[in-house]
Amino acid sequence: MGILDVNLNGLKLKNPIMTASGTYGYTDEYDDFIDVSQLGAIVTKAISLNPREGNEHNRITETKAGMINSIGLENVGIEKFLETKSPVLKSKNIEYIMNIAGSSFDEYVRLATICQTNNIKAIEMNVSCPNVKSGCLEFGVDENVLYDLVKSVREVYKGFLAVKLTPNVTSIEKTGAAAEKAGADAISAINTLKGTSLKVNCINGKFVKTMVQGGYSGRGIKPVAVNAVLRLYNTVNIPIIGIGGIEDIDDVIEFFAAGAQAVQIGTANFTYPDTALKLVKELENYVVKNGFKDLDEMKKELRR
Amino acid sequence: MIKDKKKIFEAVVDKVEKVSRSAYLIETDLKEEVDVKAGQFVSIYCDGLTLRRPFSVYSCKASKIGILFKEKGKGTKYIKSLKKGDLVNITGPFGNGFTLENKKALSVGAGIGYAPVAFLKSKSDECGIENMLLCGFPNKNEIPDLVKADVICTDDGSYGIKGSVLDAAENILKDYKPQIIYACGPLIVLKKLVQTAQKYDIPVQVAMEKEMACSIGVCRGCVIRVKHDGNIVNKTVCKDGPVFWGSEVVW
Ligand SMILES: Cc1cc2nc3c(=O)[nH]c(=O)nc-3n(C[C@H](O)[C@H](O)[C@H](O)COP(=O)(O)OP(=O)(O)OC[C@H]3O[C@@H](n4cnc5c(N)ncnc54)[C@H](O)[C@@H]3O)c2cc1C
Ligand SMILES: Cc1cc2nc3c(=O)[nH]c(=O)nc-3n(C[C@H](O)[C@H](O)[C@H](O)COP(=O)(O)O)c2cc1C
Ligand code: FES
Repeated sequence: MGILDVNLNGLKLKNPIMTASGTYGYTDEYDDFIDVSQLGAIVTKAISLNPREGNEHNRITETKAGMINSIGLENVGIEKFLETKSPVLKSKNIEYIMNIAGSSFDEYVRLATICQTNNIKAIEMNVSCPNVKSGCLEFGVDENVLYDLVKSVREVYKGFLAVKLTPNVTSIEKTGAAAEKAGADAISAINTLKGTSLKVNCINGKFVKTMVQGGYSGRGIKPVAVNAVLRLYNTVNIPIIGIGGIEDIDDVIEFFAAGAQAVQIGTANFTYPDTALKLVKELENYVVKNGFKDLDEMKKELRR
Repeated sequence: MIKDKKKIFEAVVDKVEKVSRSAYLIETDLKEEVDVKAGQFVSIYCDGLTLRRPFSVYSCKASKIGILFKEKGKGTKYIKSLKKGDLVNITGPFGNGFTLENKKALSVGAGIGYAPVAFLKSKSDECGIENMLLCGFPNKNEIPDLVKADVICTDDGSYGIKGSVLDAAENILKDYKPQIIYACGPLIVLKKLVQTAQKYDIPVQVAMEKEMACSIGVCRGCVIRVKHDGNIVNKTVCKDGPVFWGSEVVW
């Protein structure tokens, strides 16, 4: 037993620091910088049933307090993931959660079935994808749709199931409660906020505009994320994985104080590729330095 | 020295020097020997900014690397403000770099695109490969003091040949007859250069630019469309590139 051990409703990790989907690749891509196997877990890039090419045009841009991306879920597809990526994860002893994304109910269920057949230990449902059937509204914005979706996935998949909530809703308590009721083991919060960057340049009297429309992440969204975690903590009884703008140890502690059991680091990996592992070490020091026996004891004290 | 390993360096600034009206040279000591190919780049953490800024390596000797950069926005303003002895966080080296072939070459650098081709020129000199260096700038004031080129042109004719590098390049293709071209510069210049070179059936390696986040191929933020085995696929500028064959790029 290490002092940072966590048990997320059955998913046991050596520490609560994970890396967020879409910012860490599929496997050991950061191995040149750090020993990835020392992280609590990595969450893979969203995997869909078939490979996806993603969006055209400018896909990323920096903002004053973070970035906007419109990658469009470009990924290798589940078949190639199982063939080429999961062996690497296994041989390098990297703990992982597979992030899945569908464009229909059926696609989510088929993905989950494949995960079940292939003994994938843990999945995270990305429900910020457009539901083609309902006019491309995100699956995660309507608690009834979300309930049905999670329930159908739960029926075919027996491993650890996290549902990653979108913040682009009126009440995250409602979607969180729906996910719990449908049988989710944990909630990941939050995915990116909807955002647009419209950069304007005036060149010889002519305006040149560069627009990137997509998901806003990084430093600027942290208060939104902490707010979501706090509200969810007061609503659901399953563990919450906090995500959004985490950069340093104070941010991590803030999420624990709001009620998170674990956290994911996203955009900060781009700023410093060793952020996640640094936070593992700093968290251990923090617990010890402040005289706690382990992280669990510290969390209890934090939430009194 | 570990080859092909990307690292995080807490580098020490040796100097930052203004070399033209808008360009600067920064030299840093990574404190560790590195092996960098011409066309590879490094990413610099700029105080408080979320995304690192990518820059081609201009020079590399043992543990020292130099970067030639143009002031554009917040990031480059920060780098320009660094002083001797300051620490600067650098990751890299990233990307594939140019593949230096044993062929008579023409290297073309438009604007700050001079940096990677000048580095390549120093490598071809070491190997004794004939490589003519052509570069172009808007005017005399934009030519970095340190430029060493065989042919220099300026748009307004204030120095060297008057006109764009494209015109100069076409003349050189006719007379000097290179077997390969290496190029870096604005997208539109690269595109037109590749079109011109195609007329003479000369292959071009182009070093591309795209806004970047991770620099290691994971975020898929910097992809361009490239022809591959009869299909058109996404390739990352940071990992699959930044150097591509001009004939594969979907312009
Ligand atoms: C592989 C590669 C090699 C490069 N080599 C050099 C070099 O040797 N010398 C040099 O002066 N410049 C080079 N650039 C361009 C350089 O990265 C940008 O000029 C720089 O990032 C501008 O940052 P800023 O904060 O000053 O400007 P801002 O305009 O404030 O930057 C805002 C955002 O846009 C990005 N950005 C802006 N311009 C570019 C651009 N042309 N290409 C890619 N991203 C951009 C920045 O990285 C940042 O994320 C290179 C770019 C790439 C991709
Ligand atoms: C470039 C990029 C790609 C992302 N891709 C995915 C994805 O495929 N699936 C997903 O569930 N979330 C994705 N996200 C969202 C992140 O996992 C995370 O929820 C969000 O960025 C907030 O955390 P951060 O502020 O620490 O980045 C992506 C984020 C970024 C920046
Ligand atoms: S910058 Fe992330 S894939 Fe190129």
